[in-house]
Amino acid sequence: MKRFLQFCRHGLWLLFRPLWWLLVWVWRAVLFLLWLVNPLTWIEWVTRTWVRKFGIGHFSFVIVNAVRNQRRATLTMLSVAISSGLLVSLLTMQRELTVPPESEAASLRVIARNKVSITQPLPAKQLPVIEKIPGVVAVSPFTFFGGNFREETVTSFAQFAVDPVRFKGIIVEGRIAEGAYEDFVKDRTSCFVGADTMKRYGLKIGDRMRFTGTFYPVDLDLKIVAVFQGTVDDRGVFFHHKLLDELTGDPGTVGTWYLRVASAEVANDVIARVNRAFENTSAEVRTETERAFQMSFMSMLGNVKLIIGLISSMVVITLLLMTVSTMSMAIRERFRELAVLKALGFRRTELFAFILAESFGLAALGALVGIGGAWTFWTFIDLQKMTNGFLIYFEVTPRIMATGAIVAALLGIVSAIAPSLAVARTSVVDGLKTLD
Amino acid sequence: MAAPPPVPIVVVRDLSKIYRQGDINVTALNSVSLDIAPGEFVVLMGPSGSGKSTLLHIIAGIDQPTSGSAKVQGIDIARLNQSQLADWRNQNVGFVFQSFNLIPVLTAAENVELPLLLTNLSRKERRQQTLTALELVGLADRGHHRPDQLSGGQQQRAAIARALVTDPALIVADEPTGNLDAKSAGDVLEILQSLTRTAGKTVVMVTHDPKSASYGSRELHLEKGELAPGPGPK
Repeated sequence: MKRFLQFCRHGLWLLFRPLWWLLVWVWRAVLFLLWLVNPLTWIEWVTRTWVRKFGIGHFSFVIVNAVRNQRRATLTMLSVAISSGLLVSLLTMQRELTVPPESEAASLRVIARNKVSITQPLPAKQLPVIEKIPGVVAVSPFTFFGGNFREETVTSFAQFAVDPVRFKGIIVEGRIAEGAYEDFVKDRTSCFVGADTMKRYGLKIGDRMRFTGTFYPVDLDLKIVAVFQGTVDDRGVFFHHKLLDELTGDPGTVGTWYLRVASAEVANDVIARVNRAFENTSAEVRTETERAFQMSFMSMLGNVKLIIGLISSMVVITLLLMTVSTMSMAIRERFRELAVLKALGFRRTELFAFILAESFGLAALGALVGIGGAWTFWTFIDLQKMTNGFLIYFEVTPRIMATGAIVAALLGIVSAIAPSLAVARTSVVDGLKTLD
Repeated sequence: MAAPPPVPIVVVRDLSKIYRQGDINVTALNSVSLDIAPGEFVVLMGPSGSGKSTLLHIIAGIDQPTSGSAKVQGIDIARLNQSQLADWRNQNVGFVFQSFNLIPVLTAAENVELPLLLTNLSRKERRQQTLTALELVGLADRGHHRPDQLSGGQQQRAAIARALVTDPALIVADEPTGNLDAKSAGDVLEILQSLTRTAGKTVVMVTHDPKSASYGSRELHLEKGELAPGPGPK
């Protein structure tokens, strides 16, 4: 029995040995590749080459020390990179959710909604009153339908009921990519669709779009006759308000009024006049710029800014603790060497500069990798597809990148303080007594 | 008429050092006075805890006395602040430690060059001076090796080169042969001895080993923090 077991063990080993060696070599190849793509490898190589040729200097001494334990330096750099990448992503998300994208033409657009709530309709009879207000160039009803497309269970892009003739004077920055706007005006069951939505669902002119109502107890069946492109959000679907009126049997109400004003200078005056025009009526309005309107819409998501701010703070605190801990560890194991440097005549300020430069350098490199990685990721990824249309753009702005870089730089500086103080407090004699 | 005695490079007067360990005061040095002339190779001997390393540290400016004075080249080093002391050490003292204390990530030549970073020398001058120091200790051909690629004796020679590179008047060595075999120890001691004879350096060395002490020009014995009468000049 024992011989049989030995035979089986030996047989299994013979059988799996090639696989084992393959795994070992794959692992080695992975490690080699990681070593090769590690920026610290190249920084060390360049520094060593420089030092061999020109001798040691303050800067090269810092680099040589920073990368002396490459595994730890790499892990520190990576943790800063991941954290700063996460921080930048969170700040970008916060910006996207609280500061919606804006076009130049948006500054000329104003939205009037029911003062009680955005969900309360407004009487259609307000239209002639608004039209007469000086500074108003065009006005159209603008009612959010909120239907689910095909079999979808969520509203992944907005549909609005508008007056086709009046609406043309409001959306000026887009252009017709396919079909003709006149066809949209003529056909009461037609719709005018954004190019992103056409592309996403593989639609073409003449196709039909069916929506199941979620706010309204009616469904839509629309024919695509035109495609628009070039606005900040090329996803929406626009259809005739008259069709909605017919389906709901209520021709007397609209969701909001969408206005275009003559110039940005008169926008505030128009807002005040529109609000005043319906004061003390059964349907008082709250008029605001398109941007302010979008912001109030976003506030329905809750205090996103606070939540993301809290998460970002936690990321920063974790990053700080981690970097301080790593730097303290790295310096503590070099206490004796630092004491030797002190004995050789290096001042405390110079040692602080060494530690600071090392900590700052690793944090800066980590930030470069993390922020650069976040920018590359969010720039080249199809976010609209990934978030099912919830987010269109995820623009990592220079300001956000600068914020991430400043946070990383501050972390590098702060994390150098504790080890530097420890080094400053320790006498040369005590430092020399510490074990390697 | 006899020549006037040389001005001592080290003048120690009534030097005391008391350490506080918890509630107990431990006297490491008790009213020690001594003079060391330029070019002397002074060996400090004594049992463990006799205060020889403490005396060496005070003379080298890395420790402060509790009372008394220690003047090196006429400068009372106890009166210097931390920054002044650091500059003074860089210009006037070379250190040789028992465990070499070379920076492991630097080559021997880079280790030797390190103290020169604090000087105003150009890159070229620094390299030249480093090479000279390495040649003096017979290590010019091993300058590009890291400490872990050198033997103990070679590492200590590199440490001596580092101590010499700024051309200090005083070299302090704390048991420099403690971690070496007999052959390497002999080589190191010969280098230190030749520095006093040919370059006029003053060497103060702490050792337990009577054989190492025989290389010195004068032995001083310390016991319980006080200088004991010893053999004196050889």
